[in-house]
Amino acid sequence: MLTFENVSFSFRGGAGVRNLTFEISPGEIVALVGLNGAGKTTLMRLALGMIRPQQGTARIFGQPLDAVPSATWAKVGALIEVPLAYPELTVRENLRIASLLHGGGRGRHSVDGSVETWLLAPVADRRFRRLSLGNRQRVGLAAALQHDPQLIVLDEPSNALDPASVILLRDQLVQRAKQGAAILVSSHHLDEVARIAHRVLLMNTGRLIGELEITGTDLERAFFERIRDDDERRSETLGASR
Amino acid sequence: MNAAIRVEAQKLVRSPVGVIGSLALVAGTLALLGGITAALASGNPELTAKVGVAATLDWDGLLAGAAQITSAGALLGFGVVLSWMFGREFADGTITGLFALPVSRARIALAKLAVYAVWAVAVSVLLTVGILALGLTLNYGAPSAETWAALGRQTVLTILTAAVAAPVAWVATLTRSLLAAVGGAIALAIVAQVGALAGAGGWMPLAAPALWAMSNGTAANPMQLALTVAFSAAFVGLTCASWARLQLNR
Repeated sequence: MLTFENVSFSFRGGAGVRNLTFEISPGEIVALVGLNGAGKTTLMRLALGMIRPQQGTARIFGQPLDAVPSATWAKVGALIEVPLAYPELTVRENLRIASLLHGGGRGRHSVDGSVETWLLAPVADRRFRRLSLGNRQRVGLAAALQHDPQLIVLDEPSNALDPASVILLRDQLVQRAKQGAAILVSSHHLDEVARIAHRVLLMNTGRLIGELEITGTDLERAFFERIRDDDERRSETLGASR
Repeated sequence: MNAAIRVEAQKLVRSPVGVIGSLALVAGTLALLGGITAALASGNPELTAKVGVAATLDWDGLLAGAAQITSAGALLGFGVVLSWMFGREFADGTITGLFALPVSRARIALAKLAVYAVWAVAVSVLLTVGILALGLTLNYGAPSAETWAALGRQTVLTILTAAVAAPVAWVATLTRSLLAAVGGAIALAIVAQVGALAGAGGWMPLAAPALWAMSNGTAANPMQLALTVAFSAAFVGLTCASWARLQLNR
């Protein structure tokens, strides 16, 4: 569903990602973890065509991103940084426009169903600008998922969510994966990730450095050890090349 | 495309920017015209000297004043609304949600411009109807054939003024900044005024519609007005192309 082959991209100033190679299959939840600035959001932007690889190829549904037919994007749902929602519109209006933009005709994607699923009924007719951060995030998730996408890309989706909403999100992702969706999700909450992810990709300084074993008991410790080992290996390599 | 147009129309209709922009362009212009008329009626000699051909208390004076206000003020008003329609996506961060959709970004940009065009025509017609009502209220009598023609030119002037604001959509896209686009709108208004004063004449796309409307249609020929339309169309094309190639790489 989503494939990266040696994908690299550098921003002006040097930051970026290098030689990213991975694949996500239908029914699989893959988590992306790493420190702030590791390149997780850049990877997701590359996956969604927001930036084009300078090297390598990113594919969705088997096709390179620059050759993907428009209609194929209707099978993708994403939430990167800011929800697709406008402050002057109500929650229901925002969900309706998200449905329209994802290829749904009038009523094709159930806005009412989405309001119910994401427990948005009490704020459904409230303008987006008047919502709390958590409610905004739930609107963003509803807007990204209400058209039942087969490929889901979510950047730190549990941000600002209360514990009940985190459980709701977890249930939604697990259920959608069981229905065959491929899911890429970044997170800082290792315990949360361990509960739902089939695989955890570790990212450090713009590179994928392997997978994190999620069967262990102390995930945080394992995570920091891997990051530290990678940093040490990198500084040794840099030292040797000087 | 229909989906994008419906979405953009809803965003403009529900936004305070759309409502305030419409009010400023229609009610603001009419209020200014009413104020100028009242000052002229009271015999203010300074104002009489300043407004030139608009200094007469009849249809000709009213329409000359309307054309003057439209050529400067409306360009700024239309420019600000168009800046907001494009620049807000970057300012609000919603641009990320406009990727990975079955509706291409070029179509979204075109939908924004189409909605802007329909809104601008509606505002132009409303303004002309308002000027007609103002003239009738001021007892200028039933409009003559010349007055109807001047009212027609006023409508076309307002529509073309909206059209020449098109570069701000491109500026908003290139700079990804709402404020830079508003700055672009101000720059356009200044260039149009300075160009007209410097005698650039009808071959200057920004000034041609105003020169045409204020001269009873004699100071700019159809070719020169067509150049104004081509100027706008070029920036529509540039804006759509920029949206199609847009990358969030900075």
